[in-house]
Amino acid sequence: MTKITFTFQGHAITAKTGQSLAAALTKAGHRNFRETAKSAERGMFCGMGVCQDCLVTVDGKPNVRACMSPAKDGMTVTRQVPFPAFTGSAPPPSDPLHLTPDVLVIGGGAGGLSAAIAAAKAGARVVILDERKVAGGQYYKQSADGSVLDAQQGDGADLVAAAVASGAEILSGVEIWGAFDPLLFLAQQGETPIIARPNMAIVATGAYERPVMVPGWTLPGVMTTGAAQTLWRSYGTLPGQRVAICGSGPLNLQVALELTRGGAEIVRLADRASHPATRPLAALAMAVSGPMLTLKGLKMELALRRMGVAVRSACDLTGVAKQDGALAATFQGAGGDEETVTVDALCMNAGFEPQNEILRLLGAKMHYDTKMGHLRCQTDPTMQTSVSGLYAVGDCKGLGGAPAARVEGTIAGAHAAAASGFGDAYDLHGAQRALTRHRRFQSRLWRLYDIAPRGVAALSGDTPICRCEELTLDDIQVGLDDRPGHAGTLKRATRVGMGRCQGRYCGPVVARMVAETTGKPIEDLSFFAPRVPIKPVAISAILAAQEALDGEA
Amino acid sequence: MAKPDILVIGGGVTGTITAITLAEAGAKVTLVDAGVNAGSDANAGSLHVQMQSRFMRLYPDQVPNVEAALPFYRAAAEEWVKLDAALGGVELVRKGGLMLAETADQLAFLEKKAAREAAKGLSVELLDRVSLDRIAPWLGPQIVGAELCRDEGKLNPLLANRLLKRRAEAAGVTRLTDRVTQLRMTSHDVEIDTPDATLHADQVVIAAAWGSGDLVNAFSVTLPTRAEPLHMNITEPGAPVINHLVQHAERSITLKQFSSGQIVIGGGWPATSQGSHAPPTVRHDSMLQNVALAARLAPAISSLKVIRTWAGMNTTIDGASVIGPLPYTKRIIMAIPGDAGYTLGPLVGRMAAQIAMDAPTDFDAGPFSPARFAN
Repeated sequence: MTKITFTFQGHAITAKTGQSLAAALTKAGHRNFRETAKSAERGMFCGMGVCQDCLVTVDGKPNVRACMSPAKDGMTVTRQVPFPAFTGSAPPPSDPLHLTPDVLVIGGGAGGLSAAIAAAKAGARVVILDERKVAGGQYYKQSADGSVLDAQQGDGADLVAAAVASGAEILSGVEIWGAFDPLLFLAQQGETPIIARPNMAIVATGAYERPVMVPGWTLPGVMTTGAAQTLWRSYGTLPGQRVAICGSGPLNLQVALELTRGGAEIVRLADRASHPATRPLAALAMAVSGPMLTLKGLKMELALRRMGVAVRSACDLTGVAKQDGALAATFQGAGGDEETVTVDALCMNAGFEPQNEILRLLGAKMHYDTKMGHLRCQTDPTMQTSVSGLYAVGDCKGLGGAPAARVEGTIAGAHAAAASGFGDAYDLHGAQRALTRHRRFQSRLWRLYDIAPRGVAALSGDTPICRCEELTLDDIQVGLDDRPGHAGTLKRATRVGMGRCQGRYCGPVVARMVAETTGKPIEDLSFFAPRVPIKPVAISAILAAQEALDGEA
Repeated sequence: MAKPDILVIGGGVTGTITAITLAEAGAKVTLVDAGVNAGSDANAGSLHVQMQSRFMRLYPDQVPNVEAALPFYRAAAEEWVKLDAALGGVELVRKGGLMLAETADQLAFLEKKAAREAAKGLSVELLDRVSLDRIAPWLGPQIVGAELCRDEGKLNPLLANRLLKRRAEAAGVTRLTDRVTQLRMTSHDVEIDTPDATLHADQVVIAAAWGSGDLVNAFSVTLPTRAEPLHMNITEPGAPVINHLVQHAERSITLKQFSSGQIVIGGGWPATSQGSHAPPTVRHDSMLQNVALAARLAPAISSLKVIRTWAGMNTTIDGASVIGPLPYTKRIIMAIPGDAGYTLGPLVGRMAAQIAMDAPTDFDAGPFSPARFAN
């Protein structure tokens, strides 16, 4: 791997080829990437292109996501100012890519790759659009340099290889920003506009992480557990030397182990839930439905313990503050005891939110899952949504885990291909039975954790809710007092959800606030209305897409 | 609920101003708003004064009414300036509006238009490219000139709506979220039906934009209010460089930069109606063509990202506003801007309140009487 050098605020930074800017900067100890309109500091949070908070200016070009952009030799990177000068010019026309596959798969993770393999094997022309530079998704998270860290990454590499061998075409680094009826997708790959008009579409966009919202959760150095995992698994970078992890769920445990083995010191591993040992029946039920995965979990906990890291159960984060270039994270135990630890990085994961933007935009029916606290997309046994020709698999339709996503992908891929005239989608009984098993395990697994979203009453008024517009719970409450009726009216009253992340973090909270105030149950319409663009999209890209569509005629 | 003196239907800028004016004059006012996401407080914040080329092209038969009402538009912009001061600042900027020409023909059209507008008292001027470069250096090279209308401007509608709502509360206006389905005259007052209740008031002001026509059908008035679902795009923030409200001599566009640094691109691209009771949905061709046009006119913005879009409702009638009592039913007073509802709203709302109080109006309401729609 070759070394490259770039500068950040005038400091020379050395990085490896393929490393993201966020990883290279983190490794060099830089966590403050930009200044907000209200003069707050922000850094990398989600690590997967969702929060839009890690913006830096590269060679004079503002609004570059450090987590999604590779570091390159000779770059001049600066901290982004709140109102950067825009000095764009009409981009040179670039040849658009027109895609008309039998089956378009959106997302190159466990579900998407499996769907592509099944559809391609049936004889369909398959294209996968993946947002990341390297396919594999969040679960199989591949390394940037192709090295394999462990069995999980190895399985992912095998799956990617199988997808390539199946004849499916994988397009990486593709940002989808438009989804329109009937199955028209607009995307951008670098400077190239992509117009996709598939016969069938399989959405496999996965999920992003639900944060632990406390005062200070927007500070640089606070990141999702998945972001820390990407730093380590994809780029060989630790989020910091001293690390605390909070929230609930098995990912926290896994990443604690990975970071410890990587040389980090986990000074606190807190889980909101009481320890599984205190609920033997629930633990047993999980073990019966998934003995191998349960064993894997037990082994992880034992390994952590051997390295001196004990899970602190029934323990929750209550606040984060800056302290001498580090973070002071305060935790509260079940007995009300408070303790503050000093860390370089604080990781959080308190469940997941499905990336269901495309599904909602196209009108796929949803219902609210009270246990998981998020929307679930309704699909028939073939994984087809309420919209004809639109399939959904994996966590984007509601959390289900990678094993379930793989099986759902296989089922959807075979059926989407059959619906396009390839194969007969016969003999999927095994897959259906496996799916039932995976779902049973998932449901029992999550009973042991505490990912039910917190009621608004549990949050203090100064808790930031909307990262982008920099609004606290109190700020939003004012709008709620004014006009409680709907998330949309609350948005206009307070600006909540109007920023770059498009309401991905505040939206679920706002839906709950409105529901609590009005007494109405949460449903699809409780959330912000789905709108294009699905992700922020450059005006130059829209212009290029418009010219490409004009060229179709 | 105690019977109000006056019930105002519609909680957008027009109805809210009516309610505030009446309540501050001592009346007991109830304001009913249906809470439909597309209306009421879904505004883009342009202050339109000069004749919009979009409107002239789409509704040529309504142009004479619009042209006659130009002094009214100018007065409405002045009304906003007063409101800006009264509310403590709504980020109102009145550097004028630029209507761009890309060809000599378009410039000639603007020249004639400017002369007509100057005759109506508007402060307009034709600018060549050299003059334009001094005030708008971010324009594309193909722009040959523009009409500058100094009366035009922009303001932050989210802030204005929030402050207006506070003002209404402070004035003692009672606010209900409900949909008025029908009005009836009794011997001594007006009876108002909603799905949940029957209300009474001495007088009713209808400021329900496109929903107004249906409410007055029963009173021998055919009011052709028409909803026009329109599309808007909003970018991420950038350094403040665009001072003017920007339009085009031939094509549909408005472009302006808010004090948040964000650029708002709209100007009459259609959205898809989902009926009167739901917000319209966004059309991909509107988003693409609207933004692409903006990029061609102002290439400097092409590096910025569009972060959201929305669709709201404009209301058209016959080019002129409808202000005043119904011909045979004086207890019911109309307050509907003829176009550019957010610009005209404060003045229309205030005049409707003045009519309800039998006070002289700020501006001659004669040409706007609903009598012209009597059956």
